[in-house]
Amino acid sequence: MPFDALEAAFEAANPDIDVRAEYHGSIQVIRHVTELREPIDVVATADASLLPMLMYSTAVPETGKPYTDWHIRFASNRLALAYTKDSYYGDEITSENWPDVLALPDVKVGFADPRFDAAGYRALMAFALVQERSGKYVFFRPMFDGQFKSPVTLFLEDDLATITVPEVLETKPGSHVVLRGASIQLVALLQSGDLDYAFEYESVIRQRGLELLSLPDEVNLGSAAHESFYRKVQVNLDFKRFATVKPQFRGERIGYGITIPTNAPHEEAAERFVAFLLGPEGRRVMESNAHPMFETPVADGYDRMPASLKPLCEPASFP
Amino acid sequence: MTRRPTTLELVFAVAGGALLFFLVAPVATALFSNSPGSLWDTLRDREVLASIRLTFGAALAAVVLGMLTGVPLAYLLARRSFRGRGLVQAVVSLPIVIPHTAAGIALLLVFGRRGFLGMPLGRLGLVFTDSVPGIVVAMSFVGLPFLVTAARDAFASIEEEYELAALADGASRWQAFSRVALPLAWPGVLSGALMMWARGVSEFGAVVILAYHPKVVPVLVYERFEGFGLSAAQPVAAILIFAALLAFIALNLLARIRR
Repeated sequence: MPFDALEAAFEAANPDIDVRAEYHGSIQVIRHVTELREPIDVVATADASLLPMLMYSTAVPETGKPYTDWHIRFASNRLALAYTKDSYYGDEITSENWPDVLALPDVKVGFADPRFDAAGYRALMAFALVQERSGKYVFFRPMFDGQFKSPVTLFLEDDLATITVPEVLETKPGSHVVLRGASIQLVALLQSGDLDYAFEYESVIRQRGLELLSLPDEVNLGSAAHESFYRKVQVNLDFKRFATVKPQFRGERIGYGITIPTNAPHEEAAERFVAFLLGPEGRRVMESNAHPMFETPVADGYDRMPASLKPLCEPASFP
Repeated sequence: MTRRPTTLELVFAVAGGALLFFLVAPVATALFSNSPGSLWDTLRDREVLASIRLTFGAALAAVVLGMLTGVPLAYLLARRSFRGRGLVQAVVSLPIVIPHTAAGIALLLVFGRRGFLGMPLGRLGLVFTDSVPGIVVAMSFVGLPFLVTAARDAFASIEEEYELAALADGASRWQAFSRVALPLAWPGVLSGALMMWARGVSEFGAVVILAYHPKVVPVLVYERFEGFGLSAAQPVAAILIFAALLAFIALNLLARIRR
């Protein structure tokens, strides 16, 4: 939604450029470049770590160069629970008791599919993080045990809690866990009353006018001060058959990433769009849509970035 | 003796040939762009097989339910003129023009957990979200127009005289319908049923909103594509196309034998 507003503002300021936006889940959006080989000028995704994982490592067939070798982290968000006035236990749930409420068998909880959407694996992380926060390991299993045909497992070590998502992820009939391909698809199910709660980004909940339950900073993956705490959890996608990469997501502060593919057909316009997003007008649009921008965007592969974008961010490298 | 084709026929044949190419090229590409190994692996993939069974079975259940309600309605539409008949015909055709995702949302509002049908039926244990009944409901909604329209046209194309003659010979109304009208209209009804079944098998938009799980093949193809990429989705798509072709040919043969 903020990107709709951003598109309108950018086109108003640059009448010579027509932005054609497509929206997909965080992973799928990259596949449109690397697998469907669509000529795309700008790629933005809700999990910046996907850009190195999926684009740095894949080469454009025509040039042999990777699809990109730099990206900018420009915005964050916070994971939260969306609900409605009709949600079961809506007047009892709090930022402290939510894991107990969500585990009740008559409460339907929506998750984005963690294999396709960053919001999905981040929601799984929330259950591991809330255990680390309290030191009580009593929240993950009541929520997920017996809900899937092949289980989602949690393996605890001293310094790392590893969640493993099976390749075939399917809920059992009557499960109180409800999956959909992307977090945004859960909104309709909330509104129809088929879900009581859904894990969403705070910006989405505010934009859609849903009830918002904030999660503690140790859990919401949006606090810079808790970056090292988030690293206590990891989600592995257990892709045996199809994967060219084995996706592993270490907990980190939510960072939205943007880049320009090396095969972008309109490189100059793409640079102008990214500069607009990172500049004051883009910032205003994003923040009026409840989407918090980083104070100073940070770039991985700073030396390889287009020169016009360098003044807008600081160099950094990510693990 | 064959005559030489006229210029008009030649031009039309070229136009028709272009159309055939347009239809066949994507299907053939999807079928033959897979390595035999990946097709074989996919054929042994239990998730794929379960999904094909689910898809074909749910579509069949939708057709059976559709027959029980749609054929009587089609008969009435063909035989009786009544006030509001035009309106009923329009309502029956409505699902064809409703975008399928919108149809899914509309069904969710009625059959969902808090819907006015979903809530009482849910208390009886009949749940429509993420369940086979939900898949059948979605397939029925988008497929029924094909069955009802075809059956109506089939009944309308039969002279009522035959039924009247049966009545004159002492048959009851029920016998006149089941022994005379229905057998005569059967090829048309069956081809409508086949269309409805095919529509159900191919449905994605309405199904995925009500039931992401268990996964019908179109959802599985989409999921494989989303999660694992083109190379994982392609063989599943090819097998769906192949299975649908086989089923289509088999049912067409069956219909021909009946005729």
